[in-house]
Amino acid sequence: MRKILAVIKREYLQIVKTKGFIIGTILGPVLMSLFLIVPILMSVVSVAEQENIGVIDASGKLFAELDKKMEQKLKDGSRRYLLEEYRVTGDISRLKEALNEKVLAKELSAYLFLPADISEGGEVEYVSEHVSDFDKTNNIRNALNSIIIGKRLKAEGLDPNKVGQLMSRINLSTKKVSKRGVEEDTGGTFIISYFLVLVLYMTLIFYGQAIMRGVIEEKSSRVVEIVLSSIRPFQLMAGKIIGIGAVGLTQYTIWGLFGIGFTTYGGALIADVFPATSSFNMPSIPAYIFIYFVIFFILGYFLFSTLFAAIGSMVNTEKEAQQFMTPVIMMLVIPLLLIIFIMRSPNSSISVILSMIPFFTPTLMLLRVCILLPPFIQVGGSIVLMALTTLLMIWLTAKIYRVGLLMYGKRPRIREIIKWMRYK
Amino acid sequence: MNALELDKVTKNFGDFCAVKDLSFNVLKGSVYGLLGPNGAGKTTTIRMVMNIIIPDKGTINFLGRKMDEEMKKRIGYLPEDRGLYPKMKIGELLLFFSELKGLKGAEARSRIDHWLGRFDLADWKLKKAEELSKGMQQKVQFIATVIHQPELIILDEPFAGLDPVNTKLLKDIMLEMKDKGVTIIFSTHRMEQVEMICDNICLINKGEKVLEGNLNRIKKEYGKNTIVLDYEGEAKYIKDFAEIENIDDYGRFMEVKLKKGGDPQDLLQYLTGKIRINKFEVKEPTLNAIFIAKVGEQNEKNSGGN
Repeated sequence: MRKILAVIKREYLQIVKTKGFIIGTILGPVLMSLFLIVPILMSVVSVAEQENIGVIDASGKLFAELDKKMEQKLKDGSRRYLLEEYRVTGDISRLKEALNEKVLAKELSAYLFLPADISEGGEVEYVSEHVSDFDKTNNIRNALNSIIIGKRLKAEGLDPNKVGQLMSRINLSTKKVSKRGVEEDTGGTFIISYFLVLVLYMTLIFYGQAIMRGVIEEKSSRVVEIVLSSIRPFQLMAGKIIGIGAVGLTQYTIWGLFGIGFTTYGGALIADVFPATSSFNMPSIPAYIFIYFVIFFILGYFLFSTLFAAIGSMVNTEKEAQQFMTPVIMMLVIPLLLIIFIMRSPNSSISVILSMIPFFTPTLMLLRVCILLPPFIQVGGSIVLMALTTLLMIWLTAKIYRVGLLMYGKRPRIREIIKWMRYK
Repeated sequence: MNALELDKVTKNFGDFCAVKDLSFNVLKGSVYGLLGPNGAGKTTTIRMVMNIIIPDKGTINFLGRKMDEEMKKRIGYLPEDRGLYPKMKIGELLLFFSELKGLKGAEARSRIDHWLGRFDLADWKLKKAEELSKGMQQKVQFIATVIHQPELIILDEPFAGLDPVNTKLLKDIMLEMKDKGVTIIFSTHRMEQVEMICDNICLINKGEKVLEGNLNRIKKEYGKNTIVLDYEGEAKYIKDFAEIENIDDYGRFMEVKLKKGGDPQDLLQYLTGKIRINKFEVKEPTLNAIFIAKVGEQNEKNSGGN
């Protein structure tokens, strides 16, 4: 046991002391909080400037009303849009060309052409150097819509205000019922589960490959036989997997503490600095999801890391490892492709079966746990099934690992690897 | 008393038989040469002694006990394929290897300092392994082999890549350990090193033992009909001499083995006037000649039998 401890210590310190780990661990939460904070700030801090918009009103009756509707104000209280009417005298296409010039010369940011038959479905034209300012085009569309619809209603003898009231849409509020009672859920579950599944997927691949690289390094630097003169291959593999797993847990703990701090104080802090965001709610994650997350991480980690360790032992270079890695990575990628399907029908029998397949369990069962807590028999069953598969895999891969470590030269074929497993 | 006893040890890898019915004993406190051509099964044999791979048949006893995992810490093994973790500092690396052998912190540290000083590596303790030259790395590997004061050390090509000064240092340390009663198994292709260092040898070829025993006795048994010749001139005249069994010619130096009953004086007479002779010595054969003859003989026998 002391020997395994020595290996664990070495593996752990080797990674934790690297710049990559320190930067990644600190940068991770900073980046994540930036993703949260920046959009909020963007919505508060507007960069809009005053703009001149030309209007060609072929109907001749709409400009005044449009000018009144387009009354959006900038922060300093001045109008955001300054509308300028261009009367149609003679050839419309000549006028349009003249306005095109003005747009190119930046005298106008855009101009509108309102056709005479606008009420009967004639097309309004918006011309600008770029049309990606959706905020502006939305303002224009809404203003014109309310004017034209109002006119049509009046023509039929109806009161636009009254119709507006009658046409008001119903509100659908989505609530989640579980053993804990009924609670409101407006899509937060979706984001959280997607996020957790992605984090799990990325760390399984990241740490799995770290193990594989470690094994390849031991082989290519030829240190492995010296190490094996003191400990069993299995002890080396176990120490390596536990050591690097501990690195993963360290990283999660740091991130988790940061996350808790952020969700507890972050919202208030942002609201303090930027009062306009006080309505923003931090999403909260129930504790049991965290517990399952850790369980599935640990099980998934052991399952996949043994596979990666075995691959590392079979090859001499990382390049050679690619071919063996593909099926393992596929086992991690396939569940990602199934996420949307599972989210739509988390309780269908296909979803249940898929989430019980040991290689898919870490991601898919976690996803189902996030969406709705499945019956205990399913969750517990999948955990037992996974634990058994993991033990079987450890047993098999340890046999491959033991022989592969001391094999140099060309990459083995599958048939040879099966032969290795039979060696005494 | 024997430090190590191998009894009818066999190891197969699939259809390939790496070691077949191999038996030999290593006397405690002796230096034992394990010899053989490339691919003879030396490394497989050593790995089985180290319990890294398990024999299919036969037993291996170390100090009277069946070899097991616990015994590993009483053996030091310097493999032929060896290296260090490139990114680790020398001090940390040696501490790691010491911990693997069950040494505790303070004791390990003082021994590391002692050995680094002895090998003139004290200034390199905080350097990463990848910054060291190959020769320095080799010295670090040797320290890792002996840091836990093993009772048996197995050295596979320990001198490869070392300059003459370090070769001497390492040899001195080996003999020092021998004097303290440490048993040494020495595997190499450099026969002149074996002749200088080993008491007993075992020569294996294609997984089987070809020759075993005390080095002096083996040489005597091989007969005193070898002639070492230092010459100038045409070597073909020598080859024409009827009583010759085997010639190992280096151009200016030659080792000649005569047939049984052949008289060295006849050869000397035959050569006089034909080539210029600087030295003519009748002696026991070198281990090199025995090695080549024995391995060649067995290979011929095998191919003839098939």
